[in-house]
Amino acid sequence: MSRVVTFLTRTRGRADTAERFGVSDVLAYGYLLFGVLIVLVPVLWTFFTSIKPERAVDNFDTRLLPYAQVEENIPGEGDKPVWIHTAPDGTEQEVFKAGPTRSITDVATLDAPAEVFGVPRDELSPKEEVRVATENYLDPLLKRNGQENFNFPVYLYNSVFVTVVATLITLLINAMAAFALSKYRFRGRLTFTVLIVATLLIPASIILVSLFFVVWSFGIFGSLWGVIIPAAATPTGVFLLRQYMLTIPDELLEAARMDAASEWRIFWRIILPLSLPALSVLAILSVIWRWNDFLWPLIVLISDPTQHTLQLGLTQFAGEFNTDFHYILAMTVVTLLPITLVFVWLQRFITTGIATTGLK
Amino acid sequence: MSLAGSLMLGLVLAWVLGGSIWLLTTRRYRVTQSPRFAMDLLGFPVELAQSLFGRTGVPYALLLPNMLIFGLFTFTPMILNFYVSFTGGSSIILYDRPFVGLEKYADIFRCENYLIPKSCSNAGYNFFTGLYNTLLFVVIQVPIMCSVALVTALVVNRNIRGRGFWRAMFFYPVMLSPVVIANIWNWVLNRKGVLNASLDGAQGALNALAGASGFDMVVTVILAVVLIVVTERALRASNEPSLAWTAVFALIFVALVAWSNPASALGLKGSFLPGLGLAIVLLMIVSKGGRLARIALLVAAAACAAMLLSIQFSTVFDLGRYRPVNWLVTPNTGWPFFWLVFVFCWSHMGFYMLILLAGLQAIPHDLYEAAKMDATRPARAFRRITLPLIMPTLTVVVILSLIRSFQIFDEVYLLTGGGPGRETYMIVQNIYEVAFTDSQPDYGQAAAGSVLMAVVIAIFTFFQLWLTRRQSEL
Repeated sequence: MSRVVTFLTRTRGRADTAERFGVSDVLAYGYLLFGVLIVLVPVLWTFFTSIKPERAVDNFDTRLLPYAQVEENIPGEGDKPVWIHTAPDGTEQEVFKAGPTRSITDVATLDAPAEVFGVPRDELSPKEEVRVATENYLDPLLKRNGQENFNFPVYLYNSVFVTVVATLITLLINAMAAFALSKYRFRGRLTFTVLIVATLLIPASIILVSLFFVVWSFGIFGSLWGVIIPAAATPTGVFLLRQYMLTIPDELLEAARMDAASEWRIFWRIILPLSLPALSVLAILSVIWRWNDFLWPLIVLISDPTQHTLQLGLTQFAGEFNTDFHYILAMTVVTLLPITLVFVWLQRFITTGIATTGLK
Repeated sequence: MSLAGSLMLGLVLAWVLGGSIWLLTTRRYRVTQSPRFAMDLLGFPVELAQSLFGRTGVPYALLLPNMLIFGLFTFTPMILNFYVSFTGGSSIILYDRPFVGLEKYADIFRCENYLIPKSCSNAGYNFFTGLYNTLLFVVIQVPIMCSVALVTALVVNRNIRGRGFWRAMFFYPVMLSPVVIANIWNWVLNRKGVLNASLDGAQGALNALAGASGFDMVVTVILAVVLIVVTERALRASNEPSLAWTAVFALIFVALVAWSNPASALGLKGSFLPGLGLAIVLLMIVSKGGRLARIALLVAAAACAAMLLSIQFSTVFDLGRYRPVNWLVTPNTGWPFFWLVFVFCWSHMGFYMLILLAGLQAIPHDLYEAAKMDATRPARAFRRITLPLIMPTLTVVVILSLIRSFQIFDEVYLLTGGGPGRETYMIVQNIYEVAFTDSQPDYGQAAAGSVLMAVVIAIFTFFQLWLTRRQSEL
């Protein structure tokens, strides 16, 4: 018996050094499980709600599966929801409501729509089936049923454009700056380094108002470039890359210089390929920042709906249709899906990359 | 065409045409080498700098684009902020703005009592309401988030299965955008949402259970057995009580204190917080070890037994009908603020946990092995090894989260919009609304607000740095 217990409670490690699965492990796993539930349940709940039909969402149906009331085409009446009438003696029959719902409601059976009879309201229960409400997604995406305000392709294009272009620019200019700061000795290197540290300490929301003036006077206010350019140079990126480039041996550069390679070619052909790990971490960070950016795009792009990013479009959509929760939740899922897929795909890489290179 | 447009066009033309001509005259390219030509063209200014000034010119050319953007879009606005805060009017053109001196600051500071925003002028009321709410938020949120992140990092750093999975799960919310987070939580926290529904269900089930006959006795017996087992386990180790079992004991202790409510004899409202304090004291004593630990544990166990007998469980668990709370809208309950703190922690904790985890994994393992050789208690090892070595990382995390939570805007704006009333009105929202959503945008006022906010953030950051410097000297 005791050997069975030992076998079941053993943790990782060799047989002689392995520690027993003690109460502290139970506490640890309990904590982790609890935390993961708190993280996942809201997201999953949003997803499960977004595939429920409109009526279930409006009634705050808390069942997990998407139940929808069955509708049947009744000759002369059109599509009617089907109810199940349970008589006091236990017999059930399928009916539809022929009049407004009262304490005694007029109903008729599906087979004989003309024979209306009254039954108590509480003997009626909806006939339900499990049905995924794809219309929540398809209506706004295909602009059906009057859902023309969520211009998904435009928003997606804007978001992707901002994210991709800003990330490319960030990678290029940050790598150039990091190369200069890590591989050259020149007058003013310290000054430049300190200047970049200083930008790290200036929170973006402090310079909001005057950044607006600057961007306005450059004439890029209201265009996507007004979002891309100001955030393209990131102090974090410069430091992350500089830290990494310091580990690249100088001999490689010297060898290339012997072969009469120009400095730019050294950068492009030697430095960039070798610092690919750090570059990819920065790329991931930059994608997250730009994709999720909210306040600055809100200021710059809000007046022109054709320039909205996905985040802005979703905000406007949720603001306009405060009651159409089924559409809002579906579009929320659509918005979180790309980043979730990227995360699931690159999860190990992202977490280890950020953990090893540190700062935000 | 705008200024920037024509400037950009000129620059691109000069770059592409000039670069092509220069490159083609100085070097030879075959047709198959056109990618190399494109690459050279992209770096044409760097090449030019090298041929003009030699290698000394190269780093400056490399730094130029980055520093240009920093200069134009970070440093210039920083200085411009001061100028804008000294001007009035609502014109966007800088030289159209009349110089008003310190008037905008005076507007904010026109108060009878700075601690009561209601006694201020309109601008001052908004500013100080935002400032105090933000300060309250920071003071509550930063310690909570940092300790949760530290605890999570410590747990994930243990020898557990599936570490990558847990780490990824806790990091996942960081990837989500504020809009998505706000929509999700709006839905969960709705008056008829899933939180209220499940609380309702749980309470109904408890009520039904408490109504059953014999419930009182059964719960008392079960808890007594659990208590005996836990106390025995905690005291079983030959020399010192086990800390992990004491933690389980402390959880039961807190629940018992909250239920039996001994503090009501003293006229206090609830006993949960005093109970929590006592439990923490108990844990600290046990982590120190020694004779006192056993005695404290035994005293607490005796107190638990007394409390257990005094509790009428059927009344404790009979909670009556559940009334759904409108979590984000009900004023004067503190719930909107609570959920703001919660959602902010929910969405940002993973990032700080990752940094702390990296710090924890950088601690050399031999230290713990040496401690184990000396039969050091885990609590002592934590205090003497983990905490001092994680301190630099923890400082970084505290400062980052401090700056971050000072700037809270997205989550508040989308979840509560600053409401109910002005309960969650934060300072960035004040700046944003004054400058960008009012019909008469008052950029001067907003700039003055940002300057003051910068001062507050700087004070906090330096205070924090000073505090930790003192600590590391000791």
